[in-house]
Amino acid sequence: MSPKSKLARLIVYALLFGGAAIFLFPFLWLVATSLKPAEQTMSLPPTWLPRAYYATIDGKRMEVTRDYPAPDRPGYWHITEKPAPKTLAGKPTSAIVSAAEIETKIQPRWDNYHTALATMGGRRPTSAEGAVGVDAQVTFFTFLRNTLLVCVLGVIGAVFSNALIAYSFAKIRWRGRDTMFVLTLATMMVPFPVLMVPLYGVFKWLGWIGSLRPLWVPAFFGSAFNIFLMRQFFRTIPEELSEAARIDGCSEWGIFWRIILPLSKPVIAVVALFHFLWAWNDFLGPLLYLTRRHTFTLALALQDYQSQGGGVQWHYLMAATVVVIIPIVVLFFLTQKTFIKGIATTGIKG
Amino acid sequence: MPVGIRKIVSANRRICCVLALILVSGLLVPTLLSGADDKVHITYWEKWSGFEADAMRRTVEQFNRSQNKVVVEFLSLSSVDRKALIATAGGDPPDVVGLWAYNVYSFADRDALQPLDDFIRAEPTPSGGQASTPEQWLARYEPVYADMCTYRGRVWAGLSTPSMTALHWNKAMFRAAGLDPERPPRTLAELDAFAEKLTKRDPKTGEVVQLGFLPQEPNWFAWAYPLWFGGQLLDGDKITIGTDPHNLQCYQWVESYTRKYGLDQVRAFSSGFGNFASPQNAFLSGKVAMEFQGVYMNNFIRQFRPGMEYGVTAWPTAAPGLDDFTVADTDLLAIPRGAKHPREAWEFIKFISSANLNAQREDELSGMELVCYLQGKNSPLRQWSPFFEQHHPHPYIGVFRQLARSPHAVHLPKMGIWQEYRRETDTMFDAVRLLAESPEQALAFCQRRISESWSWHRKSLERRSSDIANRPLTRALQTTAVPGLSLMGRGNPDELTPNGKPNVPLTNAPLPLGERVRVRGHEIIAKSP
Amino acid sequence: MTSREKHNLRHGLAFCSLWFVGFGVFTIYPVLASLYYSFCDYSVLQQPLWIGIDNYRRMSTDVVFWISLKNTLVFAALSLPAGMIVSLSLALLLNTEVRGMPIFRTIFYLPSVVPIVASALLWLWIFNGQFGILNWALRPILGLFGATPPTWFADPAWAKPALALMSVWGIGNSMVIYLSGLQNVPQELYEAAEIDGANWWRRIWHVTLPLTSPVIYFNLIMGIIGTLQTFTTVFVMTGNADGNPARSTLLYALYLFSTAFYDLRMGYASAMAWILFVLIVALTLLATKLMEKRIHYGG
Repeated sequence: MSPKSKLARLIVYALLFGGAAIFLFPFLWLVATSLKPAEQTMSLPPTWLPRAYYATIDGKRMEVTRDYPAPDRPGYWHITEKPAPKTLAGKPTSAIVSAAEIETKIQPRWDNYHTALATMGGRRPTSAEGAVGVDAQVTFFTFLRNTLLVCVLGVIGAVFSNALIAYSFAKIRWRGRDTMFVLTLATMMVPFPVLMVPLYGVFKWLGWIGSLRPLWVPAFFGSAFNIFLMRQFFRTIPEELSEAARIDGCSEWGIFWRIILPLSKPVIAVVALFHFLWAWNDFLGPLLYLTRRHTFTLALALQDYQSQGGGVQWHYLMAATVVVIIPIVVLFFLTQKTFIKGIATTGIKG
Repeated sequence: MPVGIRKIVSANRRICCVLALILVSGLLVPTLLSGADDKVHITYWEKWSGFEADAMRRTVEQFNRSQNKVVVEFLSLSSVDRKALIATAGGDPPDVVGLWAYNVYSFADRDALQPLDDFIRAEPTPSGGQASTPEQWLARYEPVYADMCTYRGRVWAGLSTPSMTALHWNKAMFRAAGLDPERPPRTLAELDAFAEKLTKRDPKTGEVVQLGFLPQEPNWFAWAYPLWFGGQLLDGDKITIGTDPHNLQCYQWVESYTRKYGLDQVRAFSSGFGNFASPQNAFLSGKVAMEFQGVYMNNFIRQFRPGMEYGVTAWPTAAPGLDDFTVADTDLLAIPRGAKHPREAWEFIKFISSANLNAQREDELSGMELVCYLQGKNSPLRQWSPFFEQHHPHPYIGVFRQLARSPHAVHLPKMGIWQEYRRETDTMFDAVRLLAESPEQALAFCQRRISESWSWHRKSLERRSSDIANRPLTRALQTTAVPGLSLMGRGNPDELTPNGKPNVPLTNAPLPLGERVRVRGHEIIAKSP
Repeated sequence: MTSREKHNLRHGLAFCSLWFVGFGVFTIYPVLASLYYSFCDYSVLQQPLWIGIDNYRRMSTDVVFWISLKNTLVFAALSLPAGMIVSLSLALLLNTEVRGMPIFRTIFYLPSVVPIVASALLWLWIFNGQFGILNWALRPILGLFGATPPTWFADPAWAKPALALMSVWGIGNSMVIYLSGLQNVPQELYEAAEIDGANWWRRIWHVTLPLTSPVIYFNLIMGIIGTLQTFTTVFVMTGNADGNPARSTLLYALYLFSTAFYDLRMGYASAMAWILFVLIVALTLLATKLMEKRIHYGG
């Protein structure tokens, strides 16, 4: 549909921009928080821009935090020197100065990103601060590597296995095929809690708990949703092509590999992308099956931005979140045409 | 087949072989190996992060340096209890795990921890004798903390760090309201009266801008309010949340605070409270003048509002005779069942349970005192070293030490379903303070629910002990490398310790070696493994 | 069987072999095992013990179970229709040919890839009763009518609508599927309708909707399955798995999780999981029956 009149175009643009603003807004807040220093992340009332305050205490000009309005002197603020000392023993200098004496600058803290990645998963920034053993070697790149491993292997498995299985449902007429297909669809309705604990038992029996295998090996054995998608797509490929190949003496495998698969690039792209996007952010699986930090994935490592008092280091969490989702956003942006067309050509029509 | 297709098919076959190889090699990727020296490496999972984790890390390093047989690998994890649960169920638990107290009781009920009694008995007594009894070993702690280590007649854990609560009051706000800043409220009536004086409203809109006290700020100890009023949560093995009249009084008092100020007012005002660990904390930012908080509060005051004038004291008396009431809590170190190095884990727990009581300088602090000093908490040991006593970062640590010795210091009830009980009381507290239910309704509901859960839980435990009697005792006889044989079965379900009163009945003596013993219909020979 | 049929059976089973393993090991076995656990007293830490239908009997008198079920159904009733209407409308909007469409599509898809840990806490902040941005915007508007905005997650009556609003933000996936469905609607039909004098609304009602009804059906079923299992958002937002305030956000999956991992009653949790399964199947069949007449399967 293409809007014909200028008015229609205008309305469409207005709706698009309006909707985009609403949808983008929390994300902008996420990015804004990632650039703030710790004490400004959760300030009430909320502020958008990260600020830096400078004032003179005891004759020394330094960066300070603006804590609270001085109780008995209107127009005056209690400020404290920044950065706060790391040990309990030291007492940071503070003073009460008038609002006019505090210089305010807008200063985004880009180094939040560096620190967020360096301390991801609860890691100490430098081993000098007392990391022991395996803990010290686990970095952002470890998490990235684990996540990529799981995602890429999972994609290979998903495409490979589901194509084979969907081929059998779509192109070969065998006894019991349709019953099996209905059963397959029924498995989509099984809620995860039903599977959760026995699956854990299966992996425990296999000895895979604590490794990454429970996260990617099941992809090599098919999944109902992908089987459904690919089967629908294969059914749109004319039977005459396979017939002709069969007459030429091609084996079933040959037809699959040589004819059907090359024509299925759109749906392969869809399955690959869906699986990659899902596996990248999957959180429940790693939560259940991974025990050692050096096996954690990015989604799980995001959990561990905790600080004293059980609070969350928002600025680091948001910074890490931005880093974690950028690859997917880029991936989606570049592949959306293939994505959407691929789903379209499966004709989710039952 | 035409040549072209044959070539392609064989090429495809090659591709398939490669894919299969990837799959197989992926399955065979070896896991990381541990250290290659001949020291025993044990894993220790702990729930802390930030400076609290740093404190324990330093203490762990001190332990590692102090001897050359055991190396502890410290791992700081979130939701450590759930991870430990899954790991223990999966047969691959850490050697030491830092749990919350209620985890220890529910894990112990399910046979998921190793009791420490045999390790303790292998220790020499303080006077140099051969075998310590658990009572002797636990005597190092203040009674209220010692009591938390035992459950159903056994010692299940050692302490990592304790905490103690007190009424914190803002002296500057007292002064501004015309109250004596050095005199906190001593009774419940005084608390209410002082709160009234410290409450301010905006003259134009009538909105609340400052409160003297609000029961829900914080709501961390709301479960203990009934105990504060002299009520009981558990009496023997009966649930008494709904039957004890003091509990009703307590919740009526909670309700009265919302009614006094108006539900909408309180809701609007409290939704403006910032995070606990921020300068906008209600107490730190002067929105609430008095609150019950723990010994760790000083750390946050120092960080977010240094120089704040405040005081600490015991909870005001709410029930006649119940003076110096306070709530104690602690984190515990336990050894999960199936841990690979329980002996070495015990060595570490032993280290954390002791201290250098002659320390005169900071670098002489050791074990428990080092951790508590760095975390700014009180030490649960009865004796303190001179340096700890005099140079502790908390200005009022002496008050907390006194409170730990109070005869009316309570801890949470030691029961396997405490987590659920706590959730129910928290929900009940919310319902009452939001005026969604009357105190009677809420208490009756809670009573019914928890009684059902409690009887279900006890039935479940009975079921298991009778089930064990009908099965070979293989699991029950799986012992650790400990001299003497102890039966890791369930204790008598009726041996519950009433909450709050120090009572350490310990009945398990080791069986004499070499004797034939009849246990529940099976004959076994006690021998050292 | 003829030799052709035998040949087909052999090859069919061969190609499908991976799924038999996957289906058997990763689906059927867990389903049957959890059915077994639902009749047992099982705490994960110890072996399961058979207790018959005690778990189910207890469920029928468990007030919190019914609360969680009601909460979940109310939440689904709020978020499903809202989500479907919004995602279909967005898909219609994004199907037009204007400049910069890929960017817009990415923007609308973006929220669904933000990790739930971050987005749940972000929304808690936005919905803050006193200082949240939402109320900051609503206050002047409602002030004109003399009303004040609700305190959202601090108010039991408004917590579920707030959750539903949150869930609408993450509809990227269903929107993309709608988009694909829309692309399958032949342009000629639109042109024919225009020639017949239909305006944009009638074009949507008479051409778009019927021809995308299979996709709508698909999204409805997926929506039912997904919404009834909502867990991570409420888990992250309520911290101690209690559905506070006053259990208003205690969803079914949250109660299941806390029963399993906090109260260590995995048998009871398995029974709950099975009831959920039965409920999902029942609702799916109901939805299918209701939509049967309206789904047009094109060529």
